[in-house]
Amino acid sequence: MSVTQPPSPSRSWTLRVRERAVEALPPEKLLADEQPTYVASWIYVFGVLSLSALGVIILSGCILALKGPGWWHFTGIGHFFNSIHLWSVELFFFFMVVHLWGKYWMAAWRGGRRQVWITGAVTFLVAIPCALTGYVSQQNFDSQWISAQAKDAMNAAGIGAFFNLLNFGQMYSYHILLLPLAVVALVVVHVLLVRKHGVVPPFALSDKLAVETPASPDGGAARPDGGEAGAEGGAAEPDAGVARAGGEASGPAEPS
Amino acid sequence: MTGRERRRAEDESYRTWKGGYRPYDLVKEASVAFGVVLAIAVVLTILFSSPDEKPGTIKSWSRTDPVDFVTTATTELDGSSASGSYGPPYNHASGSVQHAWFIHLQRWLGVSHPLNTAQDFVLAPLRSITNQPALQSAVTTYQSASSSQQSAWTSAYEKALAKASATSSGQVSVPAGNYGPLPTMMPALLSFAQGGGLDGALLTSKQFYQTDYTKPLLFMADSADGAALANRAQAEHLLGTQWGMMNETGSFPGQSWLWLYTFWYQIKPFQGHNADILVMLVMGLLSLAFILVPLIPVINRIPRWIPIYKLIWRQHYRTAS
Amino acid sequence: MAAVFNLNHHASYAHWHFISLSVPNLIVIVLALIVFVLAILVPFPKHGPGSQT
Repeated sequence: MSVTQPPSPSRSWTLRVRERAVEALPPEKLLADEQPTYVASWIYVFGVLSLSALGVIILSGCILALKGPGWWHFTGIGHFFNSIHLWSVELFFFFMVVHLWGKYWMAAWRGGRRQVWITGAVTFLVAIPCALTGYVSQQNFDSQWISAQAKDAMNAAGIGAFFNLLNFGQMYSYHILLLPLAVVALVVVHVLLVRKHGVVPPFALSDKLAVETPASPDGGAARPDGGEAGAEGGAAEPDAGVARAGGEASGPAEPS
Repeated sequence: MTGRERRRAEDESYRTWKGGYRPYDLVKEASVAFGVVLAIAVVLTILFSSPDEKPGTIKSWSRTDPVDFVTTATTELDGSSASGSYGPPYNHASGSVQHAWFIHLQRWLGVSHPLNTAQDFVLAPLRSITNQPALQSAVTTYQSASSSQQSAWTSAYEKALAKASATSSGQVSVPAGNYGPLPTMMPALLSFAQGGGLDGALLTSKQFYQTDYTKPLLFMADSADGAALANRAQAEHLLGTQWGMMNETGSFPGQSWLWLYTFWYQIKPFQGHNADILVMLVMGLLSLAFILVPLIPVINRIPRWIPIYKLIWRQHYRTAS
Repeated sequence: MAAVFNLNHHASYAHWHFISLSVPNLIVIVLALIVFVLAILVPFPKHGPGSQT
């Protein structure tokens, strides 16, 4: 292969995108094989459980889409997959709500993680019309009633002018394509933000804060943050890693 | 340091963890979690399956309660039905137009799904019935009459229908009176409906391929006595006044996450004519607040004040001490 | 494929003042609260289920 000069980074979109992506999420952060020692509670599994439920929803939804919207009314196997789809939706909201409660009581938006909270909250809110369009796509009595009722709320807010719950074709399109895409896109951003910022550290137990000091280079075990070690402000302490009481600059690690 | 500076410094201190790590298998955890959730979904499916109550049809409705069907069809003819008097997005009436103070979203977004209930639900279907010259003549008589004459006929017919009864053959017996061509038109529409023709006619009226059920659903929702859909919904606790938004048919769990949305409909300020838009506005604001929790004073400090976090991170605090 | 338990009958409802909740929904809500409390209180294995130690 001939050796040619690569285009200078400022002109190559590809290089710029790649460098920004790798800087934000180096592979060892994206697929970390370590986690902070404070991640030690069952409440932490509800994020991945919510993700898994979404996966089951999508898989079962794909099977239902393969055979078309009427299939499940006429065959046992179709009804089976419809049931999996319905129960995985119930599980999705169940796990998501427990995950949300946990994240609220952890104040998980701390330390520059507001976007993680925001994307999570928006995901929950977008999942609701995604479920609604599913309920009105069932093509049974439930769909008839839900669409006939909910249309009044949509119409009152002007939304009914372009979002007609009584139009099965439109609702089915929203349900199997547009809204799942939106949910998945939001979840992907949410998860990547978690990988980027890490899981929120615990609250410092002391009420007082140390003045920010340059971090010492020694921060404990290897961590997947690709070079940020020691670069942030705050005392570097192997135990808690958060600014502590003291009021003075620097100092050795103190038990909380 | 001011309070704000201290809070900012505290928040900054949480940005990066400089403490210990331990080995962790992310892919294995995700795989196990997926397997567990799939298993739970399959078990729930085997145990409970899912509901599938058959849809109502205009055919079944017109056979089960022909008086209600004919009454509803007459209100469609004179535009006094819920759909006929609705307003945007169906027509320019005002029966169901809502607003909140100066916010008239329903009006502003306009008539985007035009519906002429007389034409769409009664006259056009009747016109499609062939080989019935007497019927076609009756429809012509109705259409040629003045609007005041038409109103006189439909009002008288509706009054009489309140005292009507269904015959054993599924027809409607109406007390004698001056109803113009309606005694020819409405029984014909009833027969058409009972044969299943009206379900199809309302669906395919625009083109052969159709997926828009607006017309047949609105017609059924307009049912004067609730016989088409509402009675069944009430039996299943699906009405708005029954917290119905949260419920599912049968004994299946429904949409418990909608509890706050349906809650407002149960209390006083949200039970009037403008209930829907008021609830939508309140929920819109609360949704925005939910998204912006990290920025809302007091709300964003509660987790610090009520230290559930001490339970969550008790292992960490014990180790650190 | 028939389900083990047939839920195709009217649900029971729990009433309290103006609140009316179907028993299935009430079960789901109570279960979520119980699961949340358990998730926080149940001890977590020292090195985590996903770790290699």
